[in-house]
Amino acid sequence: MVGPTSAPEDVLRVEHIAKRFGPVTALKDVNLHLKKGEVLGLLGDNGAGKSTLIKILCGFQKPDSGQMFLRGEPFAPRSVDDARAAGIETVYQDLALIDELSVYHNLFLRKERVHRPVPLLSNRQMKREARAALDEIGINIPRIDVSVARLSGGQRQAIAVARTVNSDADIILLDEPLAAMGAKEGAQILDLVARLKAEGRVSIIMILHNYVHVFQACDRVSLIQDGAIALDKPTSETSVDELTEIVVNEYRRAREAAHAAPAPQPEQPGPA
Amino acid sequence: MASATQDPASTSPGGPGGPAQPRRALWREAGSRIVALREGSIILITIVVAVYFSANTSTFFSGGNLETILPYFAPIAILAAGEVFVMILGEIDLSIAAMYLFAPIIYYKLNTSLGFPLGLALVGSLIVSTVIGAVNGIFVAVIGINSFVATLGTLFTFEGLSLIISKGTPVATPGGQIPVGTFGKVFGAGTYSELIWALAIVALLQLVLTFTRWGVYTVAVGSNKLGAAEAGVRTNLVMIRNFMLCALTAGLVGIFEAIRSQTVQPNPAGPNEILFFAVAAAVIGGTLLTGGSGTVVGALIGALFLGILKDGLILQGVQANYLLFYTGLAVIIAMAANVYVGRVRRGRTGGG
Repeated sequence: MVGPTSAPEDVLRVEHIAKRFGPVTALKDVNLHLKKGEVLGLLGDNGAGKSTLIKILCGFQKPDSGQMFLRGEPFAPRSVDDARAAGIETVYQDLALIDELSVYHNLFLRKERVHRPVPLLSNRQMKREARAALDEIGINIPRIDVSVARLSGGQRQAIAVARTVNSDADIILLDEPLAAMGAKEGAQILDLVARLKAEGRVSIIMILHNYVHVFQACDRVSLIQDGAIALDKPTSETSVDELTEIVVNEYRRAREAAHAAPAPQPEQPGPA
Repeated sequence: MASATQDPASTSPGGPGGPAQPRRALWREAGSRIVALREGSIILITIVVAVYFSANTSTFFSGGNLETILPYFAPIAILAAGEVFVMILGEIDLSIAAMYLFAPIIYYKLNTSLGFPLGLALVGSLIVSTVIGAVNGIFVAVIGINSFVATLGTLFTFEGLSLIISKGTPVATPGGQIPVGTFGKVFGAGTYSELIWALAIVALLQLVLTFTRWGVYTVAVGSNKLGAAEAGVRTNLVMIRNFMLCALTAGLVGIFEAIRSQTVQPNPAGPNEILFFAVAAAVIGGTLLTGGSGTVVGALIGALFLGILKDGLILQGVQANYLLFYTGLAVIIAMAANVYVGRVRRGRTGGG
């Protein structure tokens, strides 16, 4: 298990974070750090606690214990707005898109542009800025005044990613940004990540499942297992084989544990 | 809002142009523009019903008859306008019937027992309604009680409390007695008072729904509550606020009607009936019970439809016993047409 480490250039540091949901322990003791301008790949099996960690970092959930530090300062966001104000933007696994709202209303959700002094929505300004933002990112969305329900899975995901990129955030959390995307759209998002990295302004934590994408896009990988970080290495010092072996070992251990203690049987044997 | 601006007529293919062709294309364009509106189908149905009654009765389009339609239509439109905000959340507020009954009783008590001037008594009773709306909102959003159950509870509680406080006895409404003063004329007794209020409230609330963050968050919570929360929308606040608004409009209508009829009538039967007409108006107007979608203007037209229907049936000499039956059939037909037109609208441009 990886203990707390730190580097002076850390923008975000997480120490001994734990989180339970009733009887389920999602995170036991997570230590994680993110350097400025870095792309960190967060790996782990389903249910390992990746999404929970993201939701704690972005202020959607509160940890039961542990500390977080943002640019060296203690950081305990009370809400998503709080974390956003501190410069953290998130693409959630479920995308957090509102089907009934238009593309541009989704892009500006919770960041709506309004007139002054009467706070009516400035739809024209939002449309203009949305169009510019999407063009700049290089995502092809033909119409931005239709509801997002009409877009394809990949387009929806692109909108969710564009929402975070089109902000002043300097830390971006991406929970499986490529899940619903075809090869071409996925490549566009990875290009975008590479471009953001080249600009050096933002630091990114990205949950990925495809190891090819990990080695293509990330500087460093952290692997969560059983609610703690089991491995933390620069991608240049690890390999697909090493990552796979860790996961395979985990399965083996889990199976052996299940055989040793037959009381909680997850799988029913076939008909006798 | 979003779908109101969707591509109106990409269906007309041009074709070989005769002189009749552009005009037909124009009609088709106008037709598909109306259909593209969420309120479109009910607008068409209401016009059809109005034309039918004006063709079959001589008095339908007379000034006197307009005055008969108003009392059916205006209060339901205002109630439905508030209810739309709750229904877009995917919730329902049944307690508007109780607010309708309770607010005028509080208004009466504040004025006669505590000696508040009329204006202050009005404001006080509306504050009480709004606070009860907040309680509804807290039950639903914070405690997590199903809104049907929670507001059924407050419906019975406050209708019961109305009977207890009033001892079940009707009283003369302060400000509603003849000769009616300016206050009474403004707040319900004037012939067009409720109509003007209805139009103003509907216009204001449609503006709020379409052009403010409040409206966007209302749609967001109704369409995808978790997603809205993840994006940072304070969903509990949005829900409580809308229940407050709904109770406020219900209390206001209750006082209007008490002043108009000159009596504070502590009888839950009338309010319970008007509750169902308000929900029907919202639904007929295109607001989904499942949430995420709805319009205040649609609810106004839904209320107009119900008003025209009732009035037209009476003018046609339909026996009183048949009135509710025909209303029910008409609502079912209107709803079916609405769903069908909605499906056509979505199918035309293809869903996601």
